Amino acid sequence: MTPSDGGALDEVEGDEWEDAGHPEGGRARTVLQLLATRLVDNPDAVRVETSEARNGIKLSLHVAPDDMGKVIGRRGRVAQSIRSVVRAAGARDGVDVFVDIVD
Amino acid sequence: MEWVETTGRTVEDAKEAALDELGVDEADAEFEVLAEAQTGLFGRLRSEARVRARVKPTAPRSKDDRRDRRRRNGRSQSTASGTSAGRASGGRSPRSATGERDADGTGPDEPAPTPSGTGSGDSADDAQDQSARRRRRRPRSRTRSETPGGAPLDVSGATDDSPLTKAPEATAKGTDVEVALEEQADIAKEFLTELTAEFGLEATVAINRSDDDTVELQLTGGDLGILIGPKGATLVAIQNLTRTVVYNETGANNGHINVDVGGYRQKRAEALARFATQVANTVKQTGQRTAMEPMSSIDRKVVHDTITGIDGVSTISEGEEPRRRVVVLPD
Repeated sequence: MTPSDGGALDEVEGDEWEDAGHPEGGRARTVLQLLATRLVDNPDAVRVETSEARNGIKLSLHVAPDDMGKVIGRRGRVAQSIRSVVRAAGARDGVDVFVDIVD
Repeated sequence: MEWVETTGRTVEDAKEAALDELGVDEADAEFEVLAEAQTGLFGRLRSEARVRARVKPTAPRSKDDRRDRRRRNGRSQSTASGTSAGRASGGRSPRSATGERDADGTGPDEPAPTPSGTGSGDSADDAQDQSARRRRRRPRSRTRSETPGGAPLDVSGATDDSPLTKAPEATAKGTDVEVALEEQADIAKEFLTELTAEFGLEATVAINRSDDDTVELQLTGGDLGILIGPKGATLVAIQNLTRTVVYNETGANNGHINVDVGGYRQKRAEALARFATQVANTVKQTGQRTAMEPMSSIDRKVVHDTITGIDGVSTISEGEEPRRRVVVLPD
């Protein structure tokens, strides 16, 4: 296991992706970041990671443990709305976006 | 009093759907669980949960009554004893008392109905302080709205010690915070402006006061179709998030915030209302029940609301999402 190698590889991929005109997930990512920040009590703990998925990109949303409920909502209603809006933002860039809320 | 029947993956889901349809708060509705959801092998859903719900029968005309209660301040109190004794034990009426006391009784810390207006001279810190405090009280209001039976108790408790209540205590107890709609609308506008900017769209956000307790944020600009989405799904999501953000930041439990893009919702609602009126008239003439095509809960509500205002016909919903539909019945 060589973490540095893995890190380097990730970075290269990330850079190439940015070159393709989707800086770290493009609008979908910034929209997700905005939504999450406005919904939680600890905006500083909001983190969005971008990774490639089969047919698009995956955005992994991390929030403070206490804020999980805020971004999921009763019966997942907030999460559903977030996905819907973030997907629309991705569609504007022509990218399929999946949002994963990580606990 | 009409019952609506809804389904969902869980009883909670079904209840939520019923509330959407009735357009009332959980405390103002009454439920009957018809069936629990059954899960099959590997957690697959075999049958959905079904519930029946209706607005708690507090007054003969449900729609007017609902409006009345939402108005809550002053008017509903002064007329409550006259129009319906039942209402006092129902949902909102006791809360209106809380709301009023919030407004005038609990001192400078409590957000009065026009805090932004009067507080503009205060420091920004003060305002932040206030919103932070409202945040903290939020979980309580959640809990309470989930236990309708507990509401009157809560309120009576608050009533007993209200004159002597210090602000912080009132804060903890008063779960229904009256926040001026203007203030809520400003937060919504700021959020929507930010959101559309992140989308890379140039949109203007206008605030329209629809009625006493409803404010509409109207987005206009070029190329905003993406904010509406298929069958308005994205618009619904944006509206939900806007409401959630406003609620998070104010704790406001009064008023309604609607979001519309390029007049979409209004056009859609108008067309639907016209169509519903036609159907209702046909049903009245023929005396035959008529099922309309499946619609979203928002559209169904437009139909229900339109036809509620027409004598001689009534409406119910039947079927399961996403093919749930309104049926128009002759009286």
